Amino acid sequence: MDEFIDFVRGGPLGPIKKWGTRWSLWPVHLVTACCGAELAHAFACGYDGERIGALNYGIARQTNLIIVEGAITRKMARVLRVTWEQMPDPKFVIVMGACGLEGGLFWNGYHLVKPSDVVPVDFFIPGCPPTPEALLRGIRQLQDKIVTGEAKTSATFSEIMLEQGRKPRVLPKSPKKVSKAPAVLVNVPKQVEWEFGEKLVEELKAKIDAKSITITGKNRIAVKVERDYIPKAALKLRDMGFDHVKNVNVVDVPNEDKFIVEYHFSSYSVKELMPVVVNVFADVPRDEPEVKSLAKIFPSADYLEREMHDFFGVVFEGNPWTGRKFLLAPDAPEYPLRKDFKLEKEVYVR
Amino acid sequence: MIDVFQILNYFFGIFSSDMMDIPLIAPIVDYLMQIPLLNILVALILWKPFFAVVIMPGLVVLTLYLLYIVWYERKLTARVQWRVGPLEVARPIRGAIQALADGIRYFFQEAIVHREAHRPYYIQLPILAFIPVLLPILFIPAGSAVGIYTPYSIQLIVTFIALIPITIVAIGWASNSRFAYIGSVREAFMYFAYEVPFIIAVISMVFLYGSGDAYVAVEKQSAIPGALLNPIAFIVYIIAMLMATSRLPFEIPEADQEIAFGPFVEYSGILFGLVMVLAYEKLYIMTLLFTILFLGGWSGIYCPLLGDLNGPLWLFIKSIVVISILVIVRSIYARYRLDQALRIGWTSMLTLSIIALIIGGAVGVWLS
Repeated sequence: MDEFIDFVRGGPLGPIKKWGTRWSLWPVHLVTACCGAELAHAFACGYDGERIGALNYGIARQTNLIIVEGAITRKMARVLRVTWEQMPDPKFVIVMGACGLEGGLFWNGYHLVKPSDVVPVDFFIPGCPPTPEALLRGIRQLQDKIVTGEAKTSATFSEIMLEQGRKPRVLPKSPKKVSKAPAVLVNVPKQVEWEFGEKLVEELKAKIDAKSITITGKNRIAVKVERDYIPKAALKLRDMGFDHVKNVNVVDVPNEDKFIVEYHFSSYSVKELMPVVVNVFADVPRDEPEVKSLAKIFPSADYLEREMHDFFGVVFEGNPWTGRKFLLAPDAPEYPLRKDFKLEKEVYVR
Repeated sequence: MIDVFQILNYFFGIFSSDMMDIPLIAPIVDYLMQIPLLNILVALILWKPFFAVVIMPGLVVLTLYLLYIVWYERKLTARVQWRVGPLEVARPIRGAIQALADGIRYFFQEAIVHREAHRPYYIQLPILAFIPVLLPILFIPAGSAVGIYTPYSIQLIVTFIALIPITIVAIGWASNSRFAYIGSVREAFMYFAYEVPFIIAVISMVFLYGSGDAYVAVEKQSAIPGALLNPIAFIVYIIAMLMATSRLPFEIPEADQEIAFGPFVEYSGILFGLVMVLAYEKLYIMTLLFTILFLGGWSGIYCPLLGDLNGPLWLFIKSIVVISILVIVRSIYARYRLDQALRIGWTSMLTLSIIALIIGGAVGVWLS
């Protein structure tokens, strides 16, 4: 931020301000990823960042430098901004790592924000993760910027020319062709020696009005039902001794125009059923993704249903959280894990 | 004009009647005293009460001490952790002016007053807190130099030290933030835990010397220092000093990993600079009292070249050595919980201080 640099350098007391600020850059660090380990290394006995006057400090109110380590998601962006606004002027920002620079590993993700959109950044330190030397060099560069007033890059990369005659990558054109075979199969039968399982399948067949019941592996049973029948099946399973929902899962199958909603049941109380996982699943049409909620019957399903509603937009009727964002940031785009979710277009600059 | 000269002469007479006699700089002083108007300034600086309060062991060396102790503490902690510590700011002197750079940076930073703060108190209290911290300097004698002589100096110093936590609690209250609130409550709890044993330990030494006069205390220690006369009071005083100044085993009100500097969490800029040095200044005052009570005060090897400066210099050197030993606990001890610290204060320290009171009475009878 140039006005802070101008403040530090300007006025009749400029040299004193410059000197004091230069040798007293206390970083408060906002760790969201693995770069925190490198920061710890940079301030531990190997490299000792305190040599150059940078004392690592935990409290934003009393510092003047913020080191952002790692990817900034939409939720963390608010935290970053609050932290930055807590700090007294003049203050500086260093962003560390590839994630903070352009997204890095999470490049073009729906949940990512560039730190430079949130706060004015003085220096970026590239690397995944950057070495402690690179971090300390970033702090030295900031010191130089305070002294000379102009930001210089200290890392120069050799430019590699693209080979002549090499064709650029061609992406398949829309509409993309898809095979007619079913894309996702949840109940692939498998031959296993499991006597108790066969007994259990007989019991299930007697009790549940299922489309198909298959053994998909040792201790794994898949039960296909109609989507309105899921709560009744769940009540039957509860009577049999299955006492919790382990997982709620949604599979998006756009070429068959359906979601597959899976509930995995297991038991903590009956010893024989403890290793067994029963997968009760149903096909749900994509244009009307509605399933009856199991939150009233199994409270452990509540959290998972909210999460699936966040990511896929499947409506769980009866779940009180439906219609609101649960895990995602309030401004996150709708239903990011659907297959037809549009990311920002990839742009290559030559 | 005549009136002005008469007034100046009157003050010059007062100042020059009671000046520090330092043979080392005597020729320079004699030369300066012949210059009109400058001589009154020199006489003021070397006037014994002024010298004790402002120069040594007063404000000037207090500032130097603050610069030194912050650097020394960081350097020592770095050494314990196999690091180098502050260095590049001034390489030839091993980064000794690091605290000065930090102070200048704080001075030119924005001092934020947040919306929830009780605004007038929030700004006033860091400055008001200096009254109980700096007033004891008036009564601390150093050899022949003393600000205000009183036979109750030890009691007065203890009184002012006991006032300091009130300002810190008030600072936390004025901040009106939840961490500051927790910090204030912890400070109040700690205050009750250390203050009673601390005062009883000082009273035991007053019993021992039979007077609250610092001169009597130092005179009675001419053969055996107070630390050997009453070792239990010595131990209680050291632990109470660590508790009172939030040194690390008892750094409970300001625990920065738990409650982010407690009462001082909202302060920034120069206001934080002011409140941060409060604990160090309190440590300095308490160490001066400690030196007078237990380590023979300003008595030491007399250097004839320094004359009257011997007393203040010995007091200062002893205090600095004591503080330098005390700061090492910061880098080698973990923090107690609040309830553990309270238990220590209300059980073992209280018992020890009462034993010290009995010993103090007995030794006092033997000495007199």
